[in-house]
This record gives sequence, C-alpha cells and structure tokens, in this order.
Amino acid sequence: MKHLIIFVSILSLSGLNNLIGQENMFSKTQFMIRGYGHAGFEYTSVNGKNQSSYVGSTFAPIFLFKHSDRLLFESELEFELENNQVNVGFEYADMSYILNNYMTIRMGKFLLPFGTFVERLHPAWINRLSNMPLGFGHDGIAPSSGIGVELRGGFAVGGSKLNYSVYTTNGPVLKDGSNEPEEAGMLLFENFEDNNNNKAIGGRIGYLPFSNSSVEIGFSVYSGKVGNTNDSLYGNTGANLMAGDFTFVKQVSPLYGIIDIKAQYNLSLVDKADYFELEPGETIPTQYTFENKSDAYFAQLSYRPTMAGSNIIKNFEIIGRYSVINTPEGSLWEQQASQISYGLNYWLSWRTVFKLSYQTTNSEGGHDSPGTTKTNAIFLHWALGF
Amino acid sequence: MKKQYKITTMLLVTFVAIAFIVSSCSSNKSALVSNKSGAQLWGENCIRCHSIPSPSAYNDVDWETIGLHMQIRANLTKDEITKVVEFMQTAN
Ligand code: HEC
Repeated sequence: MKHLIIFVSILSLSGLNNLIGQENMFSKTQFMIRGYGHAGFEYTSVNGKNQSSYVGSTFAPIFLFKHSDRLLFESELEFELENNQVNVGFEYADMSYILNNYMTIRMGKFLLPFGTFVERLHPAWINRLSNMPLGFGHDGIAPSSGIGVELRGGFAVGGSKLNYSVYTTNGPVLKDGSNEPEEAGMLLFENFEDNNNNKAIGGRIGYLPFSNSSVEIGFSVYSGKVGNTNDSLYGNTGANLMAGDFTFVKQVSPLYGIIDIKAQYNLSLVDKADYFELEPGETIPTQYTFENKSDAYFAQLSYRPTMAGSNIIKNFEIIGRYSVINTPEGSLWEQQASQISYGLNYWLSWRTVFKLSYQTTNSEGGHDSPGTTKTNAIFLHWALGF
Repeated sequence: MKKQYKITTMLLVTFVAIAFIVSSCSSNKSALVSNKSGAQLWGENCIRCHSIPSPSAYNDVDWETIGLHMQIRANLTKDEITKVVEFMQTAN
C-alpha cells in the first residue's frame, strides 16, 4: 500500500511536470524528473553450486526543482526488488544554494563526497560494470550518504583546478553487537536521528593538475564519535575514515579512443573497544577485542574506440576492474576478499548500455559465509538513464 | 583519536580559509582555465564521470536545470557552467 501511494505520487508529479514545468510560462520553477533503471540476468557459481536468475528492474527516479539560477532541490528514490520484496531507498533529498562563483551550500540528506564512487559513479548507467566494487554497499566500509550541511565548490589555481567539499553530518553509528553479535564493531552509515551529540565532520579535496581536467586526484576524510551518548563502554569510541581517489579520462588519438581509469582506496579506523560473544552452550558471554581497521580498494580501466571508423565498433567498450576488501582480524566479520571483473559493453546512446561481464571473487571469512568461498559470475545487464 | 578529530577539523578549516582567500583574489584566475570556450569546457568536463552528452540530448530549458545540477555535482564554477550551458543551447 505504501509503495502504491509512492507510485501514485510519482505519477501525479510527472503530470504536474507538464502543468507547472517546462512549458508553463507563468512558473519560473523548472521541474524535471530524470533517473535511471536497470534489469538483467545473472548466473553465479558459489564453490561449484550454480544459480541463475533474472534480476533487477531497479527504478530510480530523480526529481530536480530549479527554483532560480542559484537554488536547486534534488531527490532520488530507488525501487528495488530484493528477496521477493520491493525495497524503497531514499537515496538523497537536499537543497543547494549557490553562494558565489566558487561556493555552494547544501543541506539535507546528500551523497557523501567520500572518494568518487558513491557520489559520481554508482548509478547503473554510469558504472561500467553491473555491480559495485568490494567495500561499497551492503556490509561495505565506505559511507554513502549522510544528513547534514555541506559547503562545496571549485576554483582555478594557475593552470590547475581545485575542488573542495566540507561537511558535517550525524555521522556513522557503531554496531555494538547487542542486536547482531556477529556484526560487533561494524559501522552503520544510515544514521537518520543522531545517536550522540557529536557531529561527524568530513571533506574531500580534489586536485586537477592539468588545465584539460583529464586527471583528478582526491583525498577525503570523515570522522566522528560513533557510540551512543553516555554509553559507558562505547560512549567515547570514535571512527576515522579516509579515502584517496584517482581519475584519468581522455581521448587518446594514437589509441583511437577514450581511456578511462578510476580508482579509490578506503581506510576505516575505529577505536579499539570490547565486545561480547555468547559461545554455544555458555550462559555468560565472553569478552573479546580486536584492532578495528579495515580497508578496501578498486582500480578500473576501460577503453572505448570512439574514433573508430565503424559506427558499431565505436559503441563497444572493454573494461577490467580489480577490487579488494580486508576487514579486521579477530572480529566476527573478518574477511579477506579479492575480485576481478572483465566486461564488454555496448552503448546504444550516451545513457543506455548493455553490459556483459564475467567476475571471479575469492573470499576468506565474512560473517555471511565463513570459510573459503570462490564465486564465479556472469552478468548481463541493461541500464538506462532517462 | 581525539587528536585526530582536531587535526581533521584544523585541516578542513584551513582548507576552507584558503579556498575563501584564493577565490576572492580574482587575479589568481589563470587565463589557461578561464579563457576556455563553452565547447572546450564541455569536451573536457562532461566526459569525466559519465559518457559525454550531446547538446541535442535536451532542450534549452532542460539544459539550465541540468547545468545547475552538474555545477553542484562536479564542483564547477558558475562561470564554467554558464559557458557550457550557453554552448549546449546554441548547439542543440
Ligand atoms: C563529477 C562527476 C560529473 C561530471 C564532471 C559531470 N557529471 Fe553529469 N552526472 C553525474 C552524475 C553522478 C549524474 C547522475 C545524478 C544522479 O543519479 O544522482 C549525472 C547526470 C547527468 C545528466 C542527467 C540528468 C541529471 O541532471 O541528472 C546529464 C544530462 C548530465 N549529467 C550532463 C552533464 C554535463 C553537460 C556535464 C558537463 C558540464 C556533466 N554532466 C559533468 C556526474 C557528473
């Protein structure tokens, strides 16, 4: 019922779009519905056990309200089918005001500029592979969004460019294991009502050394207290997250096409704390602790022969990605995993792409599937931005 | 760990301060960056995150909304995005 109401609201909003939007000469507010969707087929083999399924039908509408040349409201919802259920994600909803040529203030729930993947690359029509690299998304170590205030912008320095973002949010929450003992010590990034009075602060600096903007190097931090206020065990526990990112995108004439390199390294340091585990058959929990340090990274390279003579060859793209995640030794979610993905894409338009990829993941540990897991997967996805 | 917050805060505050100072000294504007045409800025910037959209993908009004959206998302200056949007509107 709830989903029905949301669907109906979207439909009526799209009707409103025509009434008050672009064509109406009385309104100066410009209203747009954009967004993306994707669907596909996946075949996976986990330690030799095969499974295949049609997946997806993700529908992610984005609403943009431009109130003036300075004021924008943006919001994204994400409808997803998972475990025979429709999940609705409230990805972001924020308003931005352009203060001057170099500075914008933003408030609400926004995608965090922690590295580049979440803020810039995750939508299905932008991401060149069908899934996220290790370390992002469910059980990931990198944050995706936060509720707070942000100041961001960019400017030229000599022949280079710098861009920046500083923000404060409610910050992540420490999972102390009281609900899910096997997740004790993990961070929960969705913190809609702050669990403590400490606000997390973060930021990213991006440096584009060449005047043609082909290279960008970024550094991000995000830190704050993560335990509940007045909690005697975790009240003072803090977390410090850092990320480094690299981008290179350029049409290279001798190679007849575009070379696109994207990489991001994430590091998560959470203060050491004591957690409790109830062993089978015991009545008194045992106390344990561990160095709460995790890291994850990915590097991807793609090539599209945009300068090829044939219109068909021009639309093909090849891609490779390597990603790794390491979670703390001694935790119940300890994991070391690495993943290699190869893909072949065909672009029907600048925002419509067929993605075929083959991926192998080797994982040791993890609270969902302890032991060694080797997963081979084939994905065929169709992503479309509208 | 407390020390780390202080360092992070200080780093960020210093950075914003530098940003303020640099952005208010317009003499620092490099001709290399500020003399670029809308078409050039489009070709260099709109390809960095996703495939490059052709100007004909949207109408004039749509480009204004998208321009504001991308100015914020890509941390572009108002000057840069104004040039890109003007280029899109003449070339679509
Ligand atoms: C820093 C990365 C980045 C750069 C640079 C960038 N874009 Fe985008 N663009 C995005 C992302 C991310 C989205 C998807 C927005 C979402 O899903 O929240 C997007 C979406 C779009 C859309 C779809 C409509 C919309 O507003 O969502 C258009 C059109 C677009 N970009 C055009 C441009 C143009 C023109 C430029 C050059 C000025 C540009 N982009 C530069 C990241 C970027």
